[in-house]
Amino acid sequence: MTSTVPPTEEILLAETGAGAAPRRLSALSYFATKVGGAAVSMVMVILLGFFAFKVLPGDPVATLARERQLSSEQIAQLRLQMGLDKPLWQQFVDYLVNVFTLNFGESYVYKTSVSSLIGQYFWNTILLTGTSAVLAIALGLWLGQKAGWRPGSLFDRITSGMALVLWSVPTFWLALILLMVFGGTLHWFPTGGMTSPDPPADLFARILDVAAHMVLPVLTMVAVVYAQYVMVMRASLMEEKSADYLTTARAKGLRDDLVRRRHAVPNALLPAVTLMFLHIGGLIAGAVTVETVFSWPGLGKLTFEAISGPDLPLLQGTFVVFSAVIIVMNLIADFIYRRLDPRVRRG
Amino acid sequence: MPTPPRTRARQALGVVAAAALIALPVGAAHADSTSPARLDATASTPSPEADATTFRIATSGFVDTFNPFVSIYLTPTNINRYVYEYLVQNSAEDGSPTKGLADSWEVEDGGTTWVYTLQDDLVWSDDEPITSEDVVYTYEQMMTVPELAVANGNLVSNFESVEAPDDKTVVINLKTPQAPNPGTEVPIVPEHIWSEIEDPATFANDADVVGSGPYLLESYSANQSITLRANPNFWQGAPKIDRIQYVYYTNSDAQVQALRAGEVDFVSGLTPTQLQALEGVDGITTHSGEGRRYHSISINHGTVTRDGQPYGTGSEALKDVNVRQALRLGTDTETLLERVMEGRAEPATSFIPSSFPKWALPADDEVIMSYDPEAAMAKLEEAGWTEGADGIREKDGTPLQLRLLVDADDLTEQSIAEYFVPWMEEIGVRIAVESTDGDTISARSVSGDYDLYFSGWSINPDPDYQLGINLCSTLPTGTDGSGGTTQDGYCNPEFDELYAQQRSELDEDARREIVREMLAMNYTDTAQIATWYAHSLEAYRSDRFDGFTLQPKEGGIIASQAGYWGFLTVEPVEGAQQAEEGGVPTGLIVTGVIVALVIAGAVIFVLVRRRKMADVE
Repeated sequence: MTSTVPPTEEILLAETGAGAAPRRLSALSYFATKVGGAAVSMVMVILLGFFAFKVLPGDPVATLARERQLSSEQIAQLRLQMGLDKPLWQQFVDYLVNVFTLNFGESYVYKTSVSSLIGQYFWNTILLTGTSAVLAIALGLWLGQKAGWRPGSLFDRITSGMALVLWSVPTFWLALILLMVFGGTLHWFPTGGMTSPDPPADLFARILDVAAHMVLPVLTMVAVVYAQYVMVMRASLMEEKSADYLTTARAKGLRDDLVRRRHAVPNALLPAVTLMFLHIGGLIAGAVTVETVFSWPGLGKLTFEAISGPDLPLLQGTFVVFSAVIIVMNLIADFIYRRLDPRVRRG
Repeated sequence: MPTPPRTRARQALGVVAAAALIALPVGAAHADSTSPARLDATASTPSPEADATTFRIATSGFVDTFNPFVSIYLTPTNINRYVYEYLVQNSAEDGSPTKGLADSWEVEDGGTTWVYTLQDDLVWSDDEPITSEDVVYTYEQMMTVPELAVANGNLVSNFESVEAPDDKTVVINLKTPQAPNPGTEVPIVPEHIWSEIEDPATFANDADVVGSGPYLLESYSANQSITLRANPNFWQGAPKIDRIQYVYYTNSDAQVQALRAGEVDFVSGLTPTQLQALEGVDGITTHSGEGRRYHSISINHGTVTRDGQPYGTGSEALKDVNVRQALRLGTDTETLLERVMEGRAEPATSFIPSSFPKWALPADDEVIMSYDPEAAMAKLEEAGWTEGADGIREKDGTPLQLRLLVDADDLTEQSIAEYFVPWMEEIGVRIAVESTDGDTISARSVSGDYDLYFSGWSINPDPDYQLGINLCSTLPTGTDGSGGTTQDGYCNPEFDELYAQQRSELDEDARREIVREMLAMNYTDTAQIATWYAHSLEAYRSDRFDGFTLQPKEGGIIASQAGYWGFLTVEPVEGAQQAEEGGVPTGLIVTGVIVALVIAGAVIFVLVRRRKMADVE
């Protein structure tokens, strides 16, 4: 999951780069550039989506034939149904048609259209990653500003140390340990899935049931990612600490706590906001590991399983969706940053 | 002075956050009380299922569809074994043909006509009678519609016609005489349901299915659960449990934890390490059964197409049968079985597992070679491979070096390689291990781009299919390896001749002789080194369920049978539910404490914040 999120320094660099753009950049051309860039990225992703997975080793029909005793007539019939007997250019055209009609073709495994599959699993992933993101951001920013206000203090050393340790823990490992301890041994939380096999009938009980299933995966995701918010917020606040306006605020007689909360933090939040949006995109793609360990029926699990096969249409579909989410989030980050920081607007 | 808007917003946020924090553990506690572990009715929301005995099985299997005509994957195929009775079932004893829908059958015209008589008073789960018309309908769909032959077309490829002279008689006319019973392995569907379906090939068949087997598919939620319920109309009587539920766990370690937590009652496909970890756990019984899978090291002995065109990159050396036999002689499969499999496997002789003793090549057959490095070196010497400077044998200046493809995700393959490489070194063969992913190995095995790779198959009770994919006629048609279904690229005209003989030999003893002769021939030709028949490792909550029927009955397996016996006879253990209720729900207590702490914390937080605010303002 870590690899999907660019390191903080890069984001900060990118932002300073944006700040140094030609002066008097009008709002319209700013938007046009950003949207245009996003559109170009999207086209590249769509082209890549076909060829990257086409060169994957493995033949979907050969994989099926390992699963069951098939005659060569049956294999030929399967090839025909999957469209694998067509020449490559024809398959590429089919793929483009599928992408632009937002249909993505039919999954080899699930025998239904990829778009309906993604539609079903997308919201499960959003529920999981959205909750994790909100908690991780809240926890990370809160700890980060506390730690950054008094760098080197005991609180700072404990907070930063713990965040960095958890940040470097492999997600898979942490997830399995939590599963073993709280699921298998202590029986506090369910060991997998999103609902009980027989979900309760009424709505409130159903929500609680899902919440219980969310605890361990959310805990894992939060533990592994909150560190980057801590570090960005901490660094950012440390920079603001010596600013003149804080001296003014203190001179007004405001208590230290209020100086931090009302004056320093809002300004220090800027880099964190950009990070947040970049991160949300990455988090969705990064759900693969957590969903796999906790059997969460989301896009990540769908992708993980589509790789063995390979279930080409499904892989292509999830790849395009993941990429689109990240591109859109980056775009939003650009817009929001402009909105929040007048310096970017003025160029 | 009014509270500033930002502070108010913050307080509201704080309350929401606290509420969320409180909700989580409560949810946990709630789930704990209704969790499958406790089959009681104390749930705050009684559901109709509350009193039903549900047997839960952990699964990670792919499901394409439950349509028996087109479903390829193992999980739906196994579930359809429960839903639809075959004309002829595979017995629990040894997998030989036994009573299914058909009570009895007769073979006429030297094996070209099979006449089946159905049992009396058979009914579908919707109380409609099961007649020979249903059988004819099913077979004819597969014979006439290519889309409906995807799953089982090979089983009816020898069918000329199927007739129903009366309600209880089915006549199958074959193109050529056939000894394997043609009535096995094809799920018979109800005509009155399927003939109404507009496009049977795309019908998902995943809810409220009408069937004839012991359990019926009730509902399916992709990647979450599959629910079966008992069929009261099953001809052997309704099963003793009400429901079977397959629950999805992507990860096999998670399945083990779910069994320990009591969320599921049965897991299969365990590794020896996982099985060991579960041994001695209270309420859990582990089972190591003789399965129907064989494992081997497949040897590229010179891949050729059906019309004899060589393709691929196989080593020249392996075209010599002496070299291949030397590899076999130099491989200590017994040590592998002990060290790698920890004894949880049977020694292999051929590709027909010993769990089908009727057909398997006996271990004391005269062709069987046991581990003998001396003999191996003698064979290599005889083949002209003489000892080179660094201990690696050479012929005309070329060292005897072979590539072994190993799946990087497969611990077993890696462990075998660790033993195999030094053994080969000892007899003067250098092995270059190429570690890669399963899909690459699969692709390279098709295109003949290998010397050695690990292979394995699940075998059906009748050996005909597996023998059939060792015929010359199953070799690929293209030089890219396409168009073939061959097991190891094996082709021997004598073997093909024997195959034709056994296929029409109706006398079972005579057929067995021929089959064993074929297996011995394949053994001597050494197209592969059969390593073992791995045990299937399973574990279940014996504090709740018992009474599984194994296949084969002696030392066999519970899940993944070629039949429905495993879960047919399972029954709840007397008094198990009381024992469960007596247990202290730890989660409730602990989560209760957490809830209390969080509430207290939230209250203190809000109070402190208020006071601070008051100070300032």
